[in-house]
Amino acid sequence: MADLKKFLVRRLITFIPTLIGATFLVFLVAVVVPADPARLWAGGEKADPRVVELLRKEYHLDEPIWVQYYYFMVNLITNRMVSPVTHENVWSTILERLPVTLQLALFSFTLVVAVGVPLGIIAALKRDTIVDYLIRAFAAIGMSMPIFWFAYILIFVFYTNLGWTTLAGNPTPAKTITGLPILDAILLGDWRTVCQIVERFWLPSLVLAWPSIGFVARLVRNSFLDAMSADFVEYIIARGLPKTTLYKHVLRNALVPVVTVLGLIFGGLLAGAPITETIFALPGIGMLMIQSIQNYDYLTLIGGVFFIGLIYLTINLVVDILYAIIDPRIRY
Amino acid sequence: MTGRDPIIVVRDLHVYFYTHAGIVRAVDGISFTVYRGETFCLVGETGCGKSVTAKALARIVPPPGKIVKGEIIFYPEPGKPIDVTKLGEKELERIRGRLIAYVFQDPSAALDPLYTVGYQLAETVKHHGIVKSFKEGFQLAAKLFRKVLMPDADERVKAYPHELSGGMKQRSVIAISLSTEPKLLIADEPTTALDVTVQAQVMDVLKRLKEEKNLTLILITHNMGLVAEMCDRVAVMYAGKIVEEAPVDELFKQPLHPYTKMLLQAVPDPSRRVERLESIPGSVPNPLNLPPGCRFHPRCPHALKRCREEEPPEVYVSPSHRVVCWLYAGGRRG
Repeated sequence: MADLKKFLVRRLITFIPTLIGATFLVFLVAVVVPADPARLWAGGEKADPRVVELLRKEYHLDEPIWVQYYYFMVNLITNRMVSPVTHENVWSTILERLPVTLQLALFSFTLVVAVGVPLGIIAALKRDTIVDYLIRAFAAIGMSMPIFWFAYILIFVFYTNLGWTTLAGNPTPAKTITGLPILDAILLGDWRTVCQIVERFWLPSLVLAWPSIGFVARLVRNSFLDAMSADFVEYIIARGLPKTTLYKHVLRNALVPVVTVLGLIFGGLLAGAPITETIFALPGIGMLMIQSIQNYDYLTLIGGVFFIGLIYLTINLVVDILYAIIDPRIRY
Repeated sequence: MTGRDPIIVVRDLHVYFYTHAGIVRAVDGISFTVYRGETFCLVGETGCGKSVTAKALARIVPPPGKIVKGEIIFYPEPGKPIDVTKLGEKELERIRGRLIAYVFQDPSAALDPLYTVGYQLAETVKHHGIVKSFKEGFQLAAKLFRKVLMPDADERVKAYPHELSGGMKQRSVIAISLSTEPKLLIADEPTTALDVTVQAQVMDVLKRLKEEKNLTLILITHNMGLVAEMCDRVAVMYAGKIVEEAPVDELFKQPLHPYTKMLLQAVPDPSRRVERLESIPGSVPNPLNLPPGCRFHPRCPHALKRCREEEPPEVYVSPSHRVVCWLYAGGRRG
């Protein structure tokens, strides 16, 4: 495991340049837009020149891009960055939105794993039968279905007709422990709130998970079949080992590509789902970023990008560590 | 060689593969007997059905392959026959590994890359009830690795397959296969994937362990040198059939079937300088489209008209030497 420690250190060092690169790119795109942010923030055409001047000073808008970027990053990291549009601390805004996104991501991810993985395994075991064809068709349809359309169909069925879901509000338990409503509600034993949260979140989670379920099912099926056709399977059978042992070996071998993709999916889910959050009026990070773009609040936007970058890199790191645990051939 | 106590009797075995292109008759009516304690060789070119025959013995032929006809009578103890073709999955699991063990051609592929070789031995002996825990399994692994002359055996138990050389991998496979003390070991080209220098070492290990444990060995190979060195009796296979079977000395001294003769001529003799090695013209026929009559006739220099039309008969030239060829029909010899 000494290799692993070395790898972790190296990985943490590459963390920082990657974050800087991602945020700087977005910063660049935001800044080169031909608009006067200070004037926009101060109220547009009729803005008070003194306020505009003050904003320019405050956010170093007269200085070169890299200087602006430097001040921005320093303020963001030291948590002194206040958005001129919302007048709120950028980090606080993001952290405030995080529980909704996190909850949505967890629900969706659970669906992806709990439905996608078994479907893939069943398809592999029932290879080339009607079951396999149905699952593959389902996967293809899921992956190619536009969610904004699909979401409205589901809303029509489950909200308008059946009333099995709610479309407003953000249920939270009376007390905050971890900050994540569903976890707090379970910890408090507040089952009414748990039910409310599930009622509110199951449909958007399903919509968000839908394409990934199909994708994961296909991937699991293929990597499971690959592992099944490996020669070591024959040797396991030749040694008279039972089916359970056989599947243990096959599953672990099939897991490497699946873990990568599941990691990326989880990262993607945490990065917010602008479309789903907008359709279902869930105030998460995806919605926050869309609002920031509309308000030309690029400071909050880049704060969000920074946060997503952080999540992505962390998850990639976790995936790499999982790799090394699953496959001893992978050492860095 | 021990007496006439059979360990496995194969009668009229047919193994067909049902593919989209048609039915592949990989093994098409072969019969042979292997006696306890001997080394029996199956030789022939690639694609003649040796491996499929070997896999049929413990019913591990992969789909779409199927045993369509024939009997495989296995005698774990003298006088206690089991018909392998009639067993269910559960009973087969008790025979596989425990009584009939395999060593395959490519040890890199046979081992699961994600588990240590010691673990793979331990799970085998634990499942077959030879040890009670994985800990004991690992201890046994170290002991058996020393037996197959694995360098640094105690350390190598904890090694993953990719950390071992080809020869060491095959040694660990041999150790795993013999860990359950099987009665019959089927080695399917055990040295083909190894370096020449390592081949001899691995065969030495096999030979020594075979004698030590009084194993019966079925060796599948296309290496006639190995046949001469290891075997007691040889069966030559061609296109899914046994064409000749004889004790090893007799086969080398007096090969009868034209195919056997040509196989032996294709082996270099180091005592003579030759400009060019003999090769057998043509190739093994497509199993989807076998020639009528004798399957070897398109490549046979002695082919008669009859060979093209009728399947040749089985001729016993002596009680232990049989050949399937029209040249010997009608009692012209033996």
